Amino acid sequence: MIQILQQLVTSVSVGGLYALLAVGYALIYSVFDFTKLAFGGIMMVSAFAGYFATKLGVPTAAAMLVASAAGVLISVAVELLAYRPMRKRNANRLFLMISAMGVNIFITNLFLCLFGANLRALPTGFSSNTIALGPLRIGVVDLLSLIVSVVALVLLTFFLYRTRAGVTVRASALDMSTAGLMGIDVNRVSLIVFAISGITAAIAGMFFGMKYNVYPAMGSISNKAFIASVIGGLGSLKGAVIGGFLLGILEIMVTAYISATYRDLVSFAVMMIVLIFLPNGLFGMGDQNKL
Amino acid sequence: MSKMLEISGLSSYYGGICALNDVSLYINEGEITSIIGSNGAGKSTLMRTVAGDKKIDSGTVLFNGSPLPESVDRVVSGGISLVPEGRRIFSSLTVRENLILGTCSRRDYKQAMADTLDEVLELFPKLRERYHQPGGTLSGGEQQMLAIGRALMARPKLLCLDEPSLGLAPIIIDEVFDKIIQLNEERGLTVLLVEQNAFLALDVAHRAYVLNTGRITLEGTGTELAENPNVQAEYLGVKTGE
Ligand SMILES: Nc1ncnc2c1ncn2[C@@H]1O[C@H](COP(=O)(O)OP(=O)(O)OP(=O)(O)O)[C@@H](O)[C@H]1O
Ligand SMILES: [Mg+2]
Repeated sequence: MIQILQQLVTSVSVGGLYALLAVGYALIYSVFDFTKLAFGGIMMVSAFAGYFATKLGVPTAAAMLVASAAGVLISVAVELLAYRPMRKRNANRLFLMISAMGVNIFITNLFLCLFGANLRALPTGFSSNTIALGPLRIGVVDLLSLIVSVVALVLLTFFLYRTRAGVTVRASALDMSTAGLMGIDVNRVSLIVFAISGITAAIAGMFFGMKYNVYPAMGSISNKAFIASVIGGLGSLKGAVIGGFLLGILEIMVTAYISATYRDLVSFAVMMIVLIFLPNGLFGMGDQNKL
Repeated sequence: MSKMLEISGLSSYYGGICALNDVSLYINEGEITSIIGSNGAGKSTLMRTVAGDKKIDSGTVLFNGSPLPESVDRVVSGGISLVPEGRRIFSSLTVRENLILGTCSRRDYKQAMADTLDEVLELFPKLRERYHQPGGTLSGGEQQMLAIGRALMARPKLLCLDEPSLGLAPIIIDEVFDKIIQLNEERGLTVLLVEQNAFLALDVAHRAYVLNTGRITLEGTGTELAENPNVQAEYLGVKTGE
């Protein structure tokens, strides 16, 4: 029983990170109708930025800010250099997606050339500490990552539902051309969503870096988040969060009670099964489920 | 009387298809100007061009003497708001949020949510009752009121209405048109109105035009056009002698 609880705590914390990444997919998909497959690269670059900051003696919390700034910069840069020119020319969504894949492979290989493939541990000083909660032992990193992801998700929801700028983002997600008619500057909305998704990718990147390591190929973790957002329903905020947590729980349980070898196999199988019965995912139908 | 909007030689295309062919017209400040025409005549294309939502392929559009800005958001902040055909309410956003969106073009949006909001809710009391309800749960008439209210939140100088009567019951149509007249008479709002319902459009218009497959074929006061035998035969369903 205690062992199950212990696994549950770990899985919820991984789920929180998947949820953060999945929310990034949901935001971009709901506004621009394409899946930005470059999150992995952005997450990795942010983690590297945080890693180097930490190496220079910057405290972990501040390194998180450095990573977020890097995430925002690169996410917005990719939007301005790669996607916006294509949208201006009315590119097919499929090609936007392919361009995003290209960006991802480019960034990953660039970092591979620059820094090599070796694993770098983020020197936080508390990575292996645990806190005793009754009979449970919870990793400090797990606990922190859960708290930070929940806070980030709450802030994001607050932003989308309680602020003016948030309403313009939701309106653009529902109907971009009518949003334009209202005098909403669609380019400004795009900067907002790409900046936010840069921050969520950076937070996830930092915590994955602390839990595992920082290395150029670490971005492949974001494929899991993509599965999470598909299971939840592409473009749905609620779906991304629920899908993220479900996937986190599923993976840790499979790892703990079956074998880590079967983890990805089960995740992808679940995605396929969900899609057979719910082709739009759990919450992917209708406007009321967008964002 | 000063001309608020002046269009000369405007042509507009979708790919190779010509939707507007050498259209010239003007709108006097403080007046209601109506454009009538049948399906596919180019009415919505004209409206979208005036609202900055469609590129001008050739010709000029002057708004208060200066060329129309290139981007929609600057047209809106410059004082032209469009109530699009089919209303295009954000159905999962609340009435309040829809109205907030109307203020996006304004720098003084705090002011807007104080003063203009009160004006709009006073004009359309139904919107106050439904303030926190999703726009999609409103009746067709209420949605039209919301679409007009949303456009008014931008405090436009020129309000463009694309077929406000579309899909509404006659009694609701009367209500909507009463509001349009009220806006024009009490607040001096300049209105550009496009309608298939020619009877109504000519009834409320100071001046009017007939748009026929992309060309302006007639112009005059609302009464002149309403009495024109061709208009009566084509658009008002009046049988000519014999
Ligand atoms: N997005 C578009 N792409 C291609 N052709 C279009 C498009 N919109 C309109 N057209 C064409 O342009 C012409 C004018 O259309 P428009 O919508 O302006 O007419 P309308 O007078 O508003 O018609 P309705 O009374 O049906 O609303 C039509 O022939 C139409 O088929
Ligand atoms: Mg039309």
